Amino acid sequence: MLTGSKTTFKVRQMLPDIKERMLSQSGVNARSRDVFGLRCLPGECVLQRAVMVRKKLTAREGRGWVSGTLFCTHFRVAFLPQDSPKADDNADPVLLGDHDVALASIEKVVVVGPNRTKLVTPNSSLKFTPEELVLYCRDLRVICFLFDRLTPDAQVLEITYTIAKTYQPPKPGSVLSFQNAALGSVEMKQFLSNRRRNTHMNWFECAADWEQELERCGATGWRVSSVNDRFEMSTSLPRSIVVPQKVLDTELKKSFAHFNEGRIPRWCWRHPRGSDLLRMASFQNNIYHEKDDIRNLEMILFGCQSSLCVVVELDEELPSPADVQLAHSRLRALCLGDISTSVSVPDDKWLSTLESTRWLDYTRACLRKASEVACLLRGGHLTVALQEADDRDMSCVVSSLVQVMCDPHCRTQHGFQGLVQKEWVTAGHRFYTRINYHRDNDKEEAPVFLLFLDCVWQLLSQYPSRFQLTDDFLLALHDSIHLPLFSSFLANCQRERCKRSQNLGQSYTPVNGWRDMLHQDSSSDPSDPPLPSVWDWSLQYSKHRRDHFTQPVPPTPPLQPLLNGNLNTNPDTHRLTDTIPGSVFLLSRGSFSCPSNLLPWRSGSSGVYKKSHRRAPSSENVPGLERLLKAWALAELPHGLSATSGPQGPLDPYEPLLPLLMGPCMGLWRECYLRGALHAQAFSHPISANHPHPVERLAREVQQLKDKLAQVSSGANPNPPSKTSEPRRADTNLNQNTNNGTFLFPASKPQGAAMPRAPPPATSTNHLTSRGPPPAIAPPSRPGHKDNGGSNKHTFLFGHSSVAEARSDQRYYPAPSNAKLPKSNGSSIAS
Amino acid sequence: MEKQAGAGGAADGAGPSRKLWGSPTGGPAAGETLDSPTGSHVEWCKQLIAATISSQISGPVPSDIANRENKARRRPDFMVSKRLTAPRNLPALRYGAQVIMSQNQVPLLPGETIQTTVKDVMYICPFSGLVNGTLTITDYKLYFTTVEKESPFVLDVNLGVISRLETISVPNQGENTKGLELVCKDMRSPRFAYKTEESHPDVVELLAKHAFPLSHGLPLFAFLYKEQFPVDGWKVYDPTAEYRRQGLPNESWTISKMNSTYELCDTYPSILVIPTNITEEDIKRVAVFRAKHRIPVLSWIHPETQATIIRCSQPLVGPSDRRCKEDERFLQIIMDANAQSHKLTIFDARQSSVAVTNKAKDGGYESESFYPNVELNFLEIPNIHVMRESLRKMKDVVYPTIDEAHWHSAIDQTHWLEYIRLLLAGAAKVADKLESGKTSVVVHCSDGWDRTAQLTSLAMLMLDSHYRTLRGFQVLVEKEWISFGHKFAARVGHGDENHANSERSPLFIQFIDCVWQMTRQFPAAFEFNELFLITVLDHLYSCLFGTFLYNSEQERAAKEVQTTTVSLWSYINSQPEDFTNPFYVDYEHHVLYPLVSSRHLELWTGYYARWNPRMRPQVPVHQTLKELLFLRAELQRRVEELQRDATSHSLSSSSEHSPAHSTGTPLHTAV
Repeated sequence: MLTGSKTTFKVRQMLPDIKERMLSQSGVNARSRDVFGLRCLPGECVLQRAVMVRKKLTAREGRGWVSGTLFCTHFRVAFLPQDSPKADDNADPVLLGDHDVALASIEKVVVVGPNRTKLVTPNSSLKFTPEELVLYCRDLRVICFLFDRLTPDAQVLEITYTIAKTYQPPKPGSVLSFQNAALGSVEMKQFLSNRRRNTHMNWFECAADWEQELERCGATGWRVSSVNDRFEMSTSLPRSIVVPQKVLDTELKKSFAHFNEGRIPRWCWRHPRGSDLLRMASFQNNIYHEKDDIRNLEMILFGCQSSLCVVVELDEELPSPADVQLAHSRLRALCLGDISTSVSVPDDKWLSTLESTRWLDYTRACLRKASEVACLLRGGHLTVALQEADDRDMSCVVSSLVQVMCDPHCRTQHGFQGLVQKEWVTAGHRFYTRINYHRDNDKEEAPVFLLFLDCVWQLLSQYPSRFQLTDDFLLALHDSIHLPLFSSFLANCQRERCKRSQNLGQSYTPVNGWRDMLHQDSSSDPSDPPLPSVWDWSLQYSKHRRDHFTQPVPPTPPLQPLLNGNLNTNPDTHRLTDTIPGSVFLLSRGSFSCPSNLLPWRSGSSGVYKKSHRRAPSSENVPGLERLLKAWALAELPHGLSATSGPQGPLDPYEPLLPLLMGPCMGLWRECYLRGALHAQAFSHPISANHPHPVERLAREVQQLKDKLAQVSSGANPNPPSKTSEPRRADTNLNQNTNNGTFLFPASKPQGAAMPRAPPPATSTNHLTSRGPPPAIAPPSRPGHKDNGGSNKHTFLFGHSSVAEARSDQRYYPAPSNAKLPKSNGSSIAS
Repeated sequence: MEKQAGAGGAADGAGPSRKLWGSPTGGPAAGETLDSPTGSHVEWCKQLIAATISSQISGPVPSDIANRENKARRRPDFMVSKRLTAPRNLPALRYGAQVIMSQNQVPLLPGETIQTTVKDVMYICPFSGLVNGTLTITDYKLYFTTVEKESPFVLDVNLGVISRLETISVPNQGENTKGLELVCKDMRSPRFAYKTEESHPDVVELLAKHAFPLSHGLPLFAFLYKEQFPVDGWKVYDPTAEYRRQGLPNESWTISKMNSTYELCDTYPSILVIPTNITEEDIKRVAVFRAKHRIPVLSWIHPETQATIIRCSQPLVGPSDRRCKEDERFLQIIMDANAQSHKLTIFDARQSSVAVTNKAKDGGYESESFYPNVELNFLEIPNIHVMRESLRKMKDVVYPTIDEAHWHSAIDQTHWLEYIRLLLAGAAKVADKLESGKTSVVVHCSDGWDRTAQLTSLAMLMLDSHYRTLRGFQVLVEKEWISFGHKFAARVGHGDENHANSERSPLFIQFIDCVWQMTRQFPAAFEFNELFLITVLDHLYSCLFGTFLYNSEQERAAKEVQTTTVSLWSYINSQPEDFTNPFYVDYEHHVLYPLVSSRHLELWTGYYARWNPRMRPQVPVHQTLKELLFLRAELQRRVEELQRDATSHSLSSSSEHSPAHSTGTPLHTAV
C-alpha cells in the first residue's frame, strides 16, 4: 500500500448531493432497488463505495474476515459481502443488513495508517492513505474494515471522508435529518403506514390491552380507569390506569394531587399467589389532606387486599440516574479504551478498574431489591407498592425485574416486549431525555434502561434454561436504543407520543389514538416521518438474526392464566388474620419499619387514622412482620416438598428466579461490552468460521426435523383412521410456525397436542386437568415412577428434569438413557 | 429406605449393571461434602443439579428477605436449605450395593479400613454454624455424619488433601473441648470441635499419622487401594506409540534408548527423541552443560512444517560465560532439522532479571552471539514461590467468606489471573512461532520441569487437536508432566508433614486452570468437560491413584507404581461418558489461540470457590445442551417412525418425501 499520498483531500470537496448524483439516482417508483448490488431503501442514496474491503468479524460472528464492498449511504454504512445472495426485489425494505451500521450509531471514526492512528472529524484531512477504518459505535460495537492493496486510494479516502462528514455528530437537528434519510421517502412512509403491528404482544396502549393483562394475571377486584384519558390528571401517566374496582373515578380524581406529578398508586402485576404489585410517586406533602381524600387514597393503596401493604422505598438503596450515567460512562471508557489513542487499562488492573466503575454494584443493587420484592410477593395476599420520588426510573427497573423473576410469560420474547411497553414505554420512563439523542441535555442523560437490560442478562446467565428469549435479543434491544428511529424511545411519555401523532395531521381519537397514526397518510409533512416501533424487528434484523432471539428449546411450558390468583390460597389466610388489617409497613434498607409519618396525613394527630384503623402497629410489632414473612417462607417448604414428592405438578413456574448476588456471580456482559475489544483479538483466527456453533447446528437440525415432522404428518393425513393424533400434530406445527415458537411449546403442553396420549398432568393448579384425557396409560418407564404416574406430564425433554427431581427421595440422573425414552414415548404414540 | 434406594438406582438410567467392576463409583457425597472417593464428583455434579433444580421446585430458598448474603451468611436459616437438600442425597449414600458399608454406615473403598470413630463431634460449618455428629477416620478419609436421621449431613474429606492440622480454640463449649482445623490444599479448611476423653486415642495424632503416612513410615493409600477397573489406565501412554503418531522417527529425529537406565538424566524418561546425526559422546557433553543433565529433546513435531518444540533446562553458562561447542552444535542441528526456517527461537520462561542472576549461580541463558541465528525471548513468568503465594492469597479471598464489595479488586491483588495470562500468552507465542513462523522452538526455564512443562503442554494443546480429546489429554499429562519429571511429590507434598516446604507450588493447578480458560473460550473444541478437570485436580492430592505419585519415572519404576497402584485413567476411562463434553467437535486442523487479555479470563470459581454453598450454579448449562441433544434424538426417531407409518399407509404420499433422514452432526449423543 502507498505510504501516505502527497496531496491531502478535503472533506468539503465531497458534498453529499454531488455524490448523490454521481453514484445513484433516486428512484421514485421502485420500492427498493439495487445500487451496485446493495439493496437500498426507497430514497436512499449511495454516496460512496469502496471495493475489496474486508470486514473483521466478531467472535460471535465466527471471527476472521469477510471480504466485500463497503458503501456509505446518507443513512448507513453498509457492507456487502462478496458472495451474498442477490436480494429479492419484492421483499420488504430492511433498514439495516447484518453487516450494516446506521450513521446515527457511529460515535467516532478512526483510521489506522501504516504506523499511526487518527481520529477523523468532518473537517479533518488525511495525510496518508488509511489501511484500516474503525467505526466506534454508541452501542459499544467497534466495526473494523480493512482496505486491500487493490482498493483504489481515491475510494479509500473518499469513503472515509464521506463517512466522517455524514455520520451524525452530536448537534441539534441531526436526529431529524437522520430520520428523514431513513424514513422520509414517500415509499417508506407508505410502507411503514401499512405495517401491521405485532399482535402477539400486549402493547398496553388502550383500556382493552390492560383488561387483557388483568385477565392474564387473574387479577379480580381491579378495573381499568380512563380518568386520565386526556392526560388532564397526570401528564406523564398513560391514558389507562388500573385501580381498585371499589374506587370510583370521582374519588380517584381527588387523589392525583397528593402525589408527585400526579402519579398515584397504580396496579402493575398480580403474583399468582394473590399479591399485587403497585407503583407510585412520592407523596405531595404540601397540600391539605382531606378526610375523604385519605380514605380514597388508602383504598387505592390497599387495593384488593384488606390486610397488608408494604411500601418499598426505592430511592435510598438504588443508584440515582446520575450514578448510573457515571458508572456507564466509566464502563464504556474501560471497555473501549480511550478511543482516539487506543490506550486501554493495563491488564493487571482490569478487575479493579471494573469494580471501581460500580456498574456491577448497581446491577446487584437492582437485582437485590427486586429479589426482596419478589419474595414479599410470594408470601401472598399483600400489596407491595414501589415508591420512588418521580416513579419514572428505578421503579421501572424494579417492577419489571420482579416480573421477569416471577412471571415466566415475561421471559418470552413477546411477554418481555409487553413488559417493556407496560413498565417503561407507557409508564412514562423518560427515554427521550435519558438517552439524550440530541446531546442537548447531558445532565439528565442516564442509561437506566441499559442497566435494566444488564440485570436481565444477569438473570439469563444464571438461569439460561428458564428464559425463552436469548441474549441475542437483549443485545438487539440494547443496540436499538442508540438508533433514533423508534417511537418507543423518542418520547418521554404517552402524551408526547400522542401529541406527535396529532402533529402529523391526525384527528384525535380517544380510545387508541396514536397508534393509528401509522395508518394515516402522513406524507404531507416530510419533515416529520412516521416512526416505527422498536418491536418491528424485521425492519432491523434479518430472519436469520431474528431466529436467534428465542431459544430453540423454550424452557417452560406456556402459561395458563391463573384465575383469582388462587395458586396457594389455603396456607396463609389464617395467619393473615393475626395481623392487623390495614397495616402499612415501609421496607427500606432491608428492614421493615412502621414510621408514623409514612403516610403524610398520619403525622398529624388527626383522628382520622384512628377511626379507619384499629391501632397503629407499635414498633414492637415490626419485627413481628419480619418474623411472619420468614415463617411463611419456612412454612412453604414442607408444603413445597409434599407437593413435589406427591403426584402433583413438580414445578411451580411462579417460583421467583432469585439470582445469586455474590461478587463472583455477577458477571460482565462480555458479548455486549467487550465487543469492541479489538486489541484482545490479536491472535484470533477463523476458528469457527466454517463451523457454526454446535448449539446452532443442533437447533437447525431440530428445526429441520420439526419441518420434516410436519411434512410427514401432514402427508399422512389422508389416512386418518388409524392415527387420530396426526392431524392434531400437523395443526400444532402450523401454529408454531406462525407464532415463532418452536417445537417444544406444544410438546411440553401437557394437553397432548403433540403427545396426544401422554397422561395429563395432575398439577396443583387444577385448571389444567379438565382438558386432558384421563391417564389411560402409565408409560412403561422406570419402576420408580410407577407410583406417581401422574407426574409424567412432561415429555421426553423435560421429563427427566422434572420427574426425577420432583421426587425428593430420588437421586438425580442427568439424562435418561437413550434406550429408555423412546420406549416410553413410543408407547404413547403407537398406542 | 429400601424404596429410596431402589428409586435412586432406577433413576440412574445407566444402572448398576454398567458398573460391574464396581464400587467406589457410587461414592458417597452429600451436602457440601464433595470430594469423597472417586465417583463422588459425578455424584456431586448430579446432586448439585438435582439440588438446584429441586430448590426451584420446592423453594427452599433461604428465607425470603434474608437472601442478602451479607446479612444472612452466618445465620442459621441457611441450614434450612441444606437440610432440605440432604434427603435427596440420601439415596446416593445407598446407591450401588457394591459399596462396602461398615456397621456405622461409612462407605468404604476396597482396601480401606476404619481407624477410629469419635462421637459427639461438632463440625464448625462456616456457612451454617455448628453441626453435631460422628466422625470416622479411616486410612483414606475423614467422614463426618450427623446423627439426625431426617436431615443427614455428610462431610467427607480425603486425608491426602490435608496440608496441615492446626489446633484452634473453641470458646463456650466447656472444658475438655478441643478444636481442630484441617487446612486443605484444595481451598478449604473445615474445623471441628471434639471432647477429649481418656479412652480415645488422640484424634489429631491419628489424623496426622494417616494424613502424612510418609512422615510416619506408612505407605500411601494408593498402595492399599484394591479396586479393579475394567480399563487399565497404565496403558494409556505408550511413548513409542505417541511418537509414532507424530510421525517419528523420521530422517532427522530418532527415538533413543540412551536413557533407558536413567544414567544420562535421572529425571528424564527412558525413551527420548533426539536428532539422528549426533553422537552419544556429544550428547553426554551436552548433558553436562545443561542443568540436571536435562538435554534438549523433542516434545512435539509439526506434521507439515517439521518445526519442533524442544524442551530442556538452562545452560550452565555461569558467571564466566562458559561455552559448549556440542550444545551449540546441538541447537544448530535442531534448527537444520526444520527446512522451513533458518532460525531457532528460544523461549526462556523466566524473568530476564532472574535469568541474569542465575548466571551467578552457575546457570544462565544462551548468548545470542554464541548461538548463530538464535533468537532468545524471555516470557517473564515468576517462579514457583510467587505462584504458591498467589494461590495462598486466593484462598483467603474465596474461603470461607467472599467479600462482595471488593471481590474483583481482591482477585486482582492475588495476581493469579495475571500469571494465568502470562502462561497462556507465552504458550500462544510458542504455538504461533511454530504455526505461523514455521520455526522450531526451544523452551526452558531453570530446571525444565515446571514452567517448561506448563508452556510446552499448553502449546501442544493449542497446536494438536489430538491432545484435546479425553485420551489425548491423558497422554499429554503423562508425557509432558509425569514422564518428563515434573516433581509432583515435591510440588504437592504427598503424605508429607512438612507443609512449609518451599518446594511446594501449585504449578499443575495453574496448568489445569489454563486448560479450563481455553475450554471456556472454545467450548466445543475439547472432548473432556469441567468435571474431568476437577477430578484430575482432586486426585492430584488424594493419593488414591498412583498416577501423580513421585517425582520421576525412575522413582516410579523403583516403587513399582504401575503394578501396585491403580491409575487415575483407569477410573476415568471406565466411565468416560461422565467426563465427555457432549458438544465436542473435532477442530482437527485448527490451532486454538486463546484470547489472553485479562478481559477474557475468568476466575475458575467452579473450582476455587466450590465449597461455598452460595456459589452453586442455578441452572447447569449442560442440562440445556443435553436436553437439546435429547430432543434431537427423539425428533429423529419420531420422524423415522412417522415416515415408516406414512410409507406403509400410502405409497403415493410417501414417494414425495425424501427417503433419507438427516444423519446429524457428529455430536455425541451419549450424554
